[in-house]
Amino acid sequence: MISLPNLSSIVSVLALTAQESISGFTAENVATRPEIVERGLRFLNYAYTAVWIVLGVYLLSLSVRLRRLSVQVRRLKERPGP
Amino acid sequence: MMDGRRITTTWVDALEPALDALVVLLVPACLYAIFRLVPTEDKMGVVQRIFYFHVPSALAGFLGVALCAVCSALYLWTRDRRYDRVAHASAELGVLFFTIVLLTGPIWARPVWGVYWTGEVRLTSTLVLWLMYVGYLLLRTSAENPEQAARWAGVLGIVGALDLPIIYKSVEWWRGLHPKVLKVSGGQGLDPAMQHAFGLCLFTFLLLFLALLIQRCRLGLLEEQVATLTQEASR
Repeated sequence: MISLPNLSSIVSVLALTAQESISGFTAENVATRPEIVERGLRFLNYAYTAVWIVLGVYLLSLSVRLRRLSVQVRRLKERPGP
Repeated sequence: MMDGRRITTTWVDALEPALDALVVLLVPACLYAIFRLVPTEDKMGVVQRIFYFHVPSALAGFLGVALCAVCSALYLWTRDRRYDRVAHASAELGVLFFTIVLLTGPIWARPVWGVYWTGEVRLTSTLVLWLMYVGYLLLRTSAENPEQAARWAGVLGIVGALDLPIIYKSVEWWRGLHPKVLKVSGGQGLDPAMQHAFGLCLFTFLLLFLALLIQRCRLGLLEEQVATLTQEASR
């Protein structure tokens, strides 16, 4: 006859499994798991790349507009009056 | 020297190179603090480091929108073109910094919340604000009569800023998902090392805002000069 395992031992094993996986990571240190760190670094990279692209494009557009208008003002001032 | 430089006031000319140099020095200092000095947050891990550019961008965006509203009100009251120029420049910078916020926020949310975007009130109200100020800029560029455009944009600049308290208080009023980190917004505060890095980033972003505002106001002044000179030439 097959004997059934004790219910309380199953519960305690499940609780332990939930708290600590085989690799030793718990809910508190899950952020240090290599795959989580790698994933985090990927998204961190995306975010900072987006920031530099947005700022770079804006600075470039601002400098182009300033240069264009400065040239335009100079030309208009140099134009002989009526 | 460019024409734009000659037409600005003396104190701005004196301040500007120092301000630019300070920003250029502070940006690498911020990156060093974020990636070398600040400890990794326990629950979110490395992705939490997005916070150091995300929140200062949001505060710079808030400043842009608030300044736009104040200067719009002053313009509508006094009809002084200088206020309108600052309002236009601030609105553009508001859009710039809120674009950074709306890009970095979802990139942070994906690994932490599991989704890029939710219908959360802070996110939605920030997107609404961004759209309103994009509308403001489109109105400025598409209008044929600059006086009328300035008046309508002034009204839109004030109305758009009414969204600021909603964004700020949304997490409290609707108990949204968005984290409350800073003590001032009801959070638990930061670790001292994180606090220093955050302070440095905030200071750098505010200086960057000021440096860009000076350049953008100069651009506005040049636009007005071109319009005046073209009008004189056509007479």
